[in-house]
Amino acid sequence: MPLRRLFAITSILFFAVLAISPLKNALRPYRAIQREYAKLGAARAKSQKLAQAYQARPVSIQQIWLPGLQNRVDRCTTCHLGVQDETMAGAPGVFRLHSRSFHTPKDFDRFGCTSCHGGQGLATLEEDAHGHAENAGTPMTPLPFIESGCGRCHQAEQVAGAAILSRGRKLMEKAGCFACHLVKGHEGFRSEAPPLESVALKTGGEALKRWLKDPKGLDTNASMPNFHLADADIEALTHFIFNTVPSRTLSEKIRTAGEEKLGDPINGKKIFAEARCISCHTVEGKGNGTAPELSKVASRNTQPWLLAFLRDPQAFNPRTRMPRFGFSEADTRDVVAYMVTEFKDFEAPKEMLDPVHVNQSLAEKGQKLFRQLGCTACHAVGGAADRIGPELNRIGDKRAASLDFGKRTDVKHTLPAWLQAKLEDPRSLGAGLKMPSYGFTPEDNRAMVTALLALGADPVPDRYQHQPAQRASLVPGGGVGALFDRYRCLSCHQIGDRGADISTAPLTAEGSKVQKDWVIDYLVLSYTIRPILTDRMPVFRMTKEEATTLAQAFETFYLDPSIPEDPFAGQPATSRDPVEGKHIFDTLGCKACHIQGDKGGYFGPPLNEAGRRLKPGWTYKWLKGPQQWRADVRCPNYGLTDADALKLTSFLQTLVQKPAALKTAKGGGR
Amino acid sequence: MSTFQLATLSTWIRSSAVWRSIVRHGVADTNRNRSLIIFENLFLHVHPVKVREKTLKFSHTYWLGGITMVASFVLFATGILLMFYYHPSVPQAYQDMKELKFVVDNGVFYRNMHRWAAHLMVLGAMLHMLRVFYHRAYRPPRQFNWVVGVILLLITLLLSYTGYLLPWDQLAFWGVSVGTNMAKEAPLIGKPLRFLLLGGNIVSENALLRFYVLHCVVLPVVLILFLSVHIWRIRKDGGVQGPPEKDASEEVEP
Amino acid sequence: MSQAPQPLTPVESNDPITVPKRVAMVRPDTRPTLRQSEEKWVMTFPHLIIREVIMFMLVVIGLSVIALLFNAPLEDLANPLLTPNPSKAPWYFLGLQELLHYFPPVVAGVVIPGLVVTALVVIPYARINLVAGPLWSGDRKRLATGIAAVTGVLVILFSAFQCWAIVVPSVLVAAAMFVARSEGKGKPFRRFLTLVTLPEWVMTWFVLVAAILTIIGTFFRGPGWSLVWPWNMYPPA
Repeated sequence: MPLRRLFAITSILFFAVLAISPLKNALRPYRAIQREYAKLGAARAKSQKLAQAYQARPVSIQQIWLPGLQNRVDRCTTCHLGVQDETMAGAPGVFRLHSRSFHTPKDFDRFGCTSCHGGQGLATLEEDAHGHAENAGTPMTPLPFIESGCGRCHQAEQVAGAAILSRGRKLMEKAGCFACHLVKGHEGFRSEAPPLESVALKTGGEALKRWLKDPKGLDTNASMPNFHLADADIEALTHFIFNTVPSRTLSEKIRTAGEEKLGDPINGKKIFAEARCISCHTVEGKGNGTAPELSKVASRNTQPWLLAFLRDPQAFNPRTRMPRFGFSEADTRDVVAYMVTEFKDFEAPKEMLDPVHVNQSLAEKGQKLFRQLGCTACHAVGGAADRIGPELNRIGDKRAASLDFGKRTDVKHTLPAWLQAKLEDPRSLGAGLKMPSYGFTPEDNRAMVTALLALGADPVPDRYQHQPAQRASLVPGGGVGALFDRYRCLSCHQIGDRGADISTAPLTAEGSKVQKDWVIDYLVLSYTIRPILTDRMPVFRMTKEEATTLAQAFETFYLDPSIPEDPFAGQPATSRDPVEGKHIFDTLGCKACHIQGDKGGYFGPPLNEAGRRLKPGWTYKWLKGPQQWRADVRCPNYGLTDADALKLTSFLQTLVQKPAALKTAKGGGR
Repeated sequence: MSTFQLATLSTWIRSSAVWRSIVRHGVADTNRNRSLIIFENLFLHVHPVKVREKTLKFSHTYWLGGITMVASFVLFATGILLMFYYHPSVPQAYQDMKELKFVVDNGVFYRNMHRWAAHLMVLGAMLHMLRVFYHRAYRPPRQFNWVVGVILLLITLLLSYTGYLLPWDQLAFWGVSVGTNMAKEAPLIGKPLRFLLLGGNIVSENALLRFYVLHCVVLPVVLILFLSVHIWRIRKDGGVQGPPEKDASEEVEP
Repeated sequence: MSQAPQPLTPVESNDPITVPKRVAMVRPDTRPTLRQSEEKWVMTFPHLIIREVIMFMLVVIGLSVIALLFNAPLEDLANPLLTPNPSKAPWYFLGLQELLHYFPPVVAGVVIPGLVVTALVVIPYARINLVAGPLWSGDRKRLATGIAAVTGVLVILFSAFQCWAIVVPSVLVAAAMFVARSEGKGKPFRRFLTLVTLPEWVMTWFVLVAAILTIIGTFFRGPGWSLVWPWNMYPPA
């Protein structure tokens, strides 16, 4: 009977099919991997006992459970068995030991794996765990962007040990991303871009058009991006900008400056060099590069404007980083004369700086364009309402499926690839996009993507968040505050958490660090302390009174209570032995970096005037741990005992030679 | 040799007191014993002892009701297994789905079986209803059984729909949101009904709990109830009803 | 109890359903015909039981194979803030969701499903299809105008809502009904069509519309419920 045969066949099939799943279960890939690990471990083990321990390991799922960190369960170690196993150093592929970093190996049980690497911790299959399977969840962060994981907990801009992330965060600030995109913690961002009203005073129609066409083409240091404007739009915008009415004070300044005669370019050149302009600017690429390139500056800016601006830059752009130098009237004329003769684009047409005859209808069109393009985000006072870009706060956890790749087929369908493409060529990912091009280098691009990927959707719990201790960033008001403002100390120095990072010397504890008399001399006529650095303190031509006021302010406000006034107090007399100190100085080999006497290295500051310059309390504290003030200090921590540090301090206090530059100093020139 | 031993073993078991206390009939070699198999057995006695031969033909019913019922058996079996691993809470419910895939032995298989069997049950019930319509099998006295069938179809849809939310993934959440938003449009009762179903005005953890209880307790019990009535009625109405007899000429007035 | 039984009155009729000839034995809702030939009966065990067991095993085998080959979908964790576009109900509700695209929510979400369920419940009691003959067996002219009129009303009604997914199958079914008008000699399908009754035509129309709406909703609807080819759907359906 065929029905019976059918019954027999289906019965066999029935049990066979039901047996497949348990069979698959028994053959899960991780089981084979664990057996392989046991074999490899036994082969690499140093003792018989250890080898047996490897072989006795049961095959089972391994996991790190972190109830306190978003209830994470990371089963990565089910296959990556060797991450914490020293015998697996240099082991192949999946079993290799995790590379050493600040948090590894000590913090595996605090962070698990996915908090840095991303991917799916729950998964026990490679495809799912690494996030490559369909609907698997967010994939792993590619290794070039791994520092984005650091940024999930470390909220500060600068994260020690995460150079790429820190660089990305700094670049985001510098490029002015926050002007158009809302990012938590940067709600109060204001661009340094000049207000529009001074532009018409400053430049001419042709120069402005060229600038709008490609800002970076005219000035490699330009922070303004390229909006890829059509010629007609440039024309309209130019008319709009020249249609703005500058304030009377500004036009008056320009008018009076225009009536002055040019000075002596040769003296101007000397002053230009002395003032150390290239600590911020560049000339033909040489210099710091945070401020505009100057080699063709006179072809873009009118001579009266240069003169007026140099005298009082902050009147033209209140947010500029440029200090107000204390040059005399004649000195300014000389510097401008030098710039006008030297910093010129000799190929530029004559009408470069001619003003524009404004066409009202074009100007109106320009005004509309100005708003549409989002120029207001940087060039006009305004808050969050002007942000025309999307919020970036959750961008790091966006799923690739929700991203628009437009017609780009060359971009991998992952979030990092999309971000890279976006930063590279913002408008290629769809029609009608407004974001301009910034021309980031590949390195910058990678750093920015890292910083963006750190902007996660779910904030990590409070106890995982790392906020560096808030350091007081006191900037006093009154006369001292006015001086800080005038000389824009914060454009280069840090005070507490504020200020830029051009100078290696933060001012937070300046009063505890340097001797008052020295600092007055130094402010009046700055000289090179560390010859290896290219960005040096400008010569502001400060008067002695101003310098004294500032030095007094340092002594009053910028003190660190942990630095003793007199480190020798209460210590045995032997600790004041400079001869012993000299011995230690020679033994440690300090001369490898520091000049003392007439010999030594150039890496650290010369120490011939250390006793005149530094307070003993600071010197002592420094020697006890040079990295307390800045993480990137190269001076090694020798782990000196208190007695040795004091002896060394007392030796350094004996070095009081005046540097050669000061002997001929003539003081403030006003 | 071994067959012989197997045979003796089988005889030994069948003649043991324990076996005889459970199974009261002998080997199914006589029609009497075959009848006993049917009416001595709780599960088989819904069947009559004899059936019309033509009802065995595939095209008689296409086995659609049977397939739907097998699907429901599979759903009960896998559903009970899945209940062991599932917590109706947010976000644990979703994590449990991952655990099923990655840690639970055969977890993926159970979940897949449950999912596909659910689709089969919905589809089977629909096709079964169509088959009954085209075969005019709702003829008297089977009218009420048709109505029971319609109720069963609605229960099946509700079961499938409540189960749809339980994985608590995007598909579930938005599928249920869309569906319950449709219910909102019913005049008067729409909004209160939706509130009652979801335990709130949006799909939330309350909704998950309610759907869970409905899916695992209330609706299955109701299903079993109506399914019993459905099958009991089939038996009472003279077995499964196939297509109408084709030619009236075969039939005569008595 | 108190009511006296009504006197029996003879009714003259040839309809076997209304007036069965065997007065006492046949209820009006049972078939009054008897079969000439004896039916063949078989033992339930093993004939039915073995088939049932085979059927059970085949279904389980089929399901297991599907379950081994295709994983049940599981997307990201539910996120009330992130609405997928499009967000779709389970497949058996997609026909309704598709209707929602054309009609106001009350109609698509309440009236139409309510009507469908009511119609299904009513079918056996309204004796639908029990005594119906082939479609064109009655007054052919009246029927033709009737079909044309109903089809016309449906077409106009649904065209007003631009619901082509209903208009097209309606027209097709009506056309098929007219095709069934002429007897196709020798062509089995045409012959089969002539035998289809009116309720069957209506049911076929309903199933066709439901299936088309469901298929469109499932495979052809993309972001913003716009028409999209299945292979262009992103994310894939």
